[in-house]
Amino acid sequence: MPAWIRRAAVSIAKGHRVTLDQMLRRPITSLYPEEPVPHFPGFRSIPVLKANEETGKLNCTACGLCARSCPPQIIFVESVVGDDGRRKQWPAFFNLDLSRCMVCNLCVEACPFDALEMSADNELSAYDVRDLFFNMEELAALWKTAPAVRIAGGQKR
Amino acid sequence: MLPLWLQWVLWGILKAVLVLLFVTVNAIILIWLERKVSGHIQNRIGPLRVGGPAGVLQSFADIIKLLAKEDFFPKRGDPWVWWLAPSVAFAPALMVFFVLPIGPHLVVQDMNVGLLFIVAITSFSVLSVFMAGWGSNDKYSLIGAMRAGAQLFSYELPMVLALVAVTLATGTLNISEIVARQQGMWLIFPQFLAFLVFYIGAIAELNRTPFDLGEAESELVAGYHTEYSGIRWAMFMLGEYTNLLTSSILVSLVFLGGWSGPLLPGWVWVLIKAYLLIFVAMWIRWTLPRVRIDQLMDLGWKFLLPLSLLNIALTGVYMAVMA
Repeated sequence: MPAWIRRAAVSIAKGHRVTLDQMLRRPITSLYPEEPVPHFPGFRSIPVLKANEETGKLNCTACGLCARSCPPQIIFVESVVGDDGRRKQWPAFFNLDLSRCMVCNLCVEACPFDALEMSADNELSAYDVRDLFFNMEELAALWKTAPAVRIAGGQKR
Repeated sequence: MLPLWLQWVLWGILKAVLVLLFVTVNAIILIWLERKVSGHIQNRIGPLRVGGPAGVLQSFADIIKLLAKEDFFPKRGDPWVWWLAPSVAFAPALMVFFVLPIGPHLVVQDMNVGLLFIVAITSFSVLSVFMAGWGSNDKYSLIGAMRAGAQLFSYELPMVLALVAVTLATGTLNISEIVARQQGMWLIFPQFLAFLVFYIGAIAELNRTPFDLGEAESELVAGYHTEYSGIRWAMFMLGEYTNLLTSSILVSLVFLGGWSGPLLPGWVWVLIKAYLLIFVAMWIRWTLPRVRIDQLMDLGWKFLLPLSLLNIALTGVYMAVMA
């Protein structure tokens, strides 16, 4: 038998052995809605508002640095204006349009008061784009429930 | 009592319906099986969500989807040729079943030249490929059809010559007779070369992946059925999977002893052997890369053809010595 026939047969048999091995292995597909997908370390999905754990008040002082640092300009924050016409140190509203968020982490890095944190909640999809518009209360609630990003500069010291 | 001719017609219709049912059900199972096998080979799961355990109703969902699709006709195509091609693809695949015994006496027409009939009819599938390629008036379709035509000559000849050796060894062209002759020993052992050549040729005839030059999706979009969609495309798929089933059953009948086997009834053994061969064909499809057209020619003319001629010579000498 010529050598090339033997070589061809051996290589074909090898290939079939590889595919058979793969076939007998457990599939790596995870059944997402039924089985939870693991959170990978460093995965970011949405900036959320942190609160002081003792007083329960938001850390945010409505300084607006996050809004200015935001590349797609999706953070809308305004401080409370008191009766005397002066700006107070807490936000009147803090809105965030997740549909345009590029998850860059720049707002978290810009914040001087440790008021923002990237959340790793990956189940925020919605059928209506208006449902991706988050206000202050929703962002604060998300911080309480959702896992936070603990590496890659996601959290300040 | 009905008149004789009417009885004949009714019997014919009944048999045709049964054959059609058998073919369609098996094709649906095969399409599901192909997806499962390919999925597991690629570490995926395959169809899962659509109905029943392991997504067995996936093919039905596909059929509904295909029926709902737009019926598209290429503007400058050749309408008659284009319209006829899917039927021509499916008809020979179905016709083979009329002489193919599934079990002892379980055959529509036990023809004396059954093997010859099958070889003649299965060659028609390339006609449909060529009709589709020509009728679409599309460069990809035409290139695919031309390739399939070139492919035909390089595998059909060794395939038929492999069956010549089988006929020499058994002395008959009747498939039931061939099965009856291998009660002592399956024909795969004395005729291993013929089995090898015929199986490779059968995979080439099915346009399955190591030899799917006609539809080479990475080069030719979808080859000869680029312009087809919806139920016409489904007819091509149905024809392809029916051909896979017929050739697997044929190989199991001619080389693997057909319905000879213990305990289970004959037709179960035929189907078990056929499905084993189908699995091997799928395994080959999802393992081997596509050959080039010149490599296919090399394989057909320089390897399979001499091999089958050698096999005929060996069989002839053996028969002469033993006789």
